[in-house]
Amino acid sequence: MPRTGHGLAVAGVGQTPYRRRHEGSTPELVGQAVREALADAGLTARDVDIVVGGFAPDGLAGENCPDKRFLPAACAIGRWSMRINTGGTTGIAAAYAAMDLLEAGRGDVAVVVGVERMAQANSVPAVFNSIFDPIYERDTGLSTISMGALRATRMMARWGYAREVWAQVAERNFDNASRNPLAQIRTPYGAEDVLRSRMIAWPVTQLDACPVSEGVCAVVIVRSERFEGSGRPLAHVRGRASVSDTYNMGDRVHRPIGNLEDMITLSRSAERAYAQAGISDARQAQVVEIHAPFTHAETMAYGPLRLCDAPDGPDLVRSGFGRWGTETVINPSGGPQAANPVGATALIRLAECAQQVMGSAGERQVPGARVAVATGQGGANQFSTCTVLSA
Amino acid sequence: MRATRPNDDEEVDVQRVYVHGTAVSSSWADGSASLTDLIFRCVRRALDDARMPVGDLEAVVLAAHDLVDGRSLTNMITAPAAAAFLKDETRLGDDGAAAFVLGDARIRSGSVRTCLVAAWGRASEGPADDIARALFDPFTTRPLGMTEIGVSGLRASRALIEHPEYAEHRAAAATRRGEVEGAAGRIPAAAWPLRDTELPIWGDVVSAVVLSSEPGPVEVLGAGMSTEPFELGDRDLTGLPALRSAGEQALREARRSIDEVDVLEIDALTMFDEALALEAVGATGSGRGMEALALDPRLDPAGARSVGYCAPAMGLTRIARAVQRVREGDGALALASGSSVVAAQTQAAVVLGRAEGHDTTHGRSCR
Amino acid sequence: MSSTPVPPDGDAAADGSTTDPVAEPVTIQGHWDFGYTYFAGASASRFFNELRLNQRIMGTHCPTCDRVLVPARGFCDACYVEIDEWREVGTEGTLDSFTILTTSFPGLPEPPTVVGYVTLDGASTALLNAVHGIDLHDFDEAGALLLTQPRVRVVFSDKCEGRITDFAFELVAADA
Ligand SMILES: [Zn+2]
Repeated sequence: MPRTGHGLAVAGVGQTPYRRRHEGSTPELVGQAVREALADAGLTARDVDIVVGGFAPDGLAGENCPDKRFLPAACAIGRWSMRINTGGTTGIAAAYAAMDLLEAGRGDVAVVVGVERMAQANSVPAVFNSIFDPIYERDTGLSTISMGALRATRMMARWGYAREVWAQVAERNFDNASRNPLAQIRTPYGAEDVLRSRMIAWPVTQLDACPVSEGVCAVVIVRSERFEGSGRPLAHVRGRASVSDTYNMGDRVHRPIGNLEDMITLSRSAERAYAQAGISDARQAQVVEIHAPFTHAETMAYGPLRLCDAPDGPDLVRSGFGRWGTETVINPSGGPQAANPVGATALIRLAECAQQVMGSAGERQVPGARVAVATGQGGANQFSTCTVLSA
Repeated sequence: MRATRPNDDEEVDVQRVYVHGTAVSSSWADGSASLTDLIFRCVRRALDDARMPVGDLEAVVLAAHDLVDGRSLTNMITAPAAAAFLKDETRLGDDGAAAFVLGDARIRSGSVRTCLVAAWGRASEGPADDIARALFDPFTTRPLGMTEIGVSGLRASRALIEHPEYAEHRAAAATRRGEVEGAAGRIPAAAWPLRDTELPIWGDVVSAVVLSSEPGPVEVLGAGMSTEPFELGDRDLTGLPALRSAGEQALREARRSIDEVDVLEIDALTMFDEALALEAVGATGSGRGMEALALDPRLDPAGARSVGYCAPAMGLTRIARAVQRVREGDGALALASGSSVVAAQTQAAVVLGRAEGHDTTHGRSCR
Repeated sequence: MSSTPVPPDGDAAADGSTTDPVAEPVTIQGHWDFGYTYFAGASASRFFNELRLNQRIMGTHCPTCDRVLVPARGFCDACYVEIDEWREVGTEGTLDSFTILTTSFPGLPEPPTVVGYVTLDGASTALLNAVHGIDLHDFDEAGALLLTQPRVRVVFSDKCEGRITDFAFELVAADA
């Protein structure tokens, strides 16, 4: 079903820097990002009709329903508001909820805010263990990192990936992050640094994985017909889709329609979003922001995004595809490896794409960026989204 | 079918949305079912009630809380039990009525034709009072041991000051709510002036509603939402302005007045909250909310209470019950609402109407 | 659950009061510990009871998609139907995927350990559990061995208590 007729666009972006820990209170940080996003859109708090908050998971912050405390700082009082929590995809799922409400005629202007305060938890992996099924799986000590590594070893066995290939991916992401003042990690680590960094869950090392990050990303989304002719840049939403899979990773190991590392949720999301946007593959974009908390997870997305056939992924990395200065830049923000505030991270991917096509990405502006693709990934690698933006 | 609906200063052309099926399940500590089993069984019944094959379902909108479910990213485990397998699915950490409003929006905008909305809470698995305490600000109200019931106590004492009539009718209102079998041990600690009979009974509650753009027995005629400040001291605890606004928006969109409504399902934690809520939506005059709870035929307090209570399932449960009551002939026009934590900070209201010329009798699988 | 205000580290006067009311950030120590009683439900209960009483691994068969789902469950999420046909599966299978946990985290098993997804003979789906008996002195070497997707078998604990940890996997070849 084409969505292009609905005419939605990102009109403004506001972000705190992403850091290991922020000292400000959550409402303070949210207020700061939202004011910046509204100013970027040339709007004021009075213009806002809808506010959608994203936060995940509550356990990392040690607060139950923290949205209730921070949504008023995003102009929610007296307005429509709701809170979305879909794990890694939370930020983009919040944006999609806002888009659904705008498309339904529930308003013209929505503020979407993705928030993370995970440094409030004393042990992040222990909280991440408690996301798993308490009946059959939690006792095995599974965490999000080992869950990722269980797929990485399959990619090695099936497609010939090696730790050295993924180290090159990390090197490119860290190089990009060095141009992004919002990034938490701005040290340009090289492939050798990645290979030598601490092994967490073989084959995933510390520098293959994302850091613990806090911060707030705010995005203003509008019905674009109300803003045509305003002279301000807009990042038009040309296509978007979201697909969820079974929780059980073991059920996907032998599944003929798409197994554990095939990511059919992303394939199907991309297929739908591309069809709406009228593109055939992500090589038609100048910017691709891949929401992948691990290097191997980024390469797992190449096939579904039609950057290459999945078995050709290792060669695509070796060719230098996606580096700064090439025709399609992958993760000009540095991606989740440079900062991964869970409740915001998928929204940051959208915000980066929006800024790139609006020409407001500063030092990391990809020259001539016109079309951008952002992904979201969450749960037991089971929730995927794909969004296509253009100028 | 499409319709034009008022939206502030303009008319918008939108897809009409119908409710095709509902299910509400209520149990307590049923060892034969895991949380995902409870969800599966209820959603399966709602799809059967709608006579909709799972393959026809395009989207799923859920409401669930991580801490209530004891699963730190609950929809990772629970969404597939709610028919989300390879569907377009999202989850609110908010009340089920808000999920309903989002599900309605997805069809209204024309982006999908069918959508399942489900919400649940299983109070028997977790520590309801501890979870409620964790809702409060760690710097200010949490050290006081405040809970949701505690806020209701604040509301109730204020209501007794503002409305002396409440004292007169509260015994009759409590009697009308009725006794519920097996309620022992499921009633939260009371906060003065609230009495046990005025409190909710914790329950394991799942609700599911099937929406479609195809004409069905009940139509969604209007929706509204609003939000209050977080700080309790900044709020009008008895006036419930967010509910007042949400109800007004929903009725305005439906082009109906509250006087035309003949089925009321207004979500509230305790009997005092509900009495005040009835006044906020204009169903009765100032000071007459408790009397309405005792006597008003548009309400079914015993039916509502017997389901049990567990956030965030209750707003959708009220909507599902309103749909069921319209289908069963209790009335032709319903107003239902759902409130979120903390102490009803956000409110969502919907107006539901019997669709003319449609068979309402099929599949009354209400519990 | 309780929370007690404490002054932040450093710059506090002897009586605990801070010296700069404007710039001094306050933190509060909190706890996040909630007890739950999870209901396994009828199908997982039977799965665990079979482990404990009979040292058998059971799955349920979905007649719609013809898969034997292991561990057993009461509905097939793909077909969205209730299922109740019980099948015992083999105690040997293939290690389809694994990782070596090499870093210690509070509350999680002490590393190094191996966990993996194993498809037991007769099952359509893979099951997660610990893999014991792997020489882990060189992770890359151990990884190379496990990447060959070796055959493994189920080893039950001496005292089964009806939990997933009642059994683990070990390499079949380790015995040869
Ligand atoms: Zn099946």
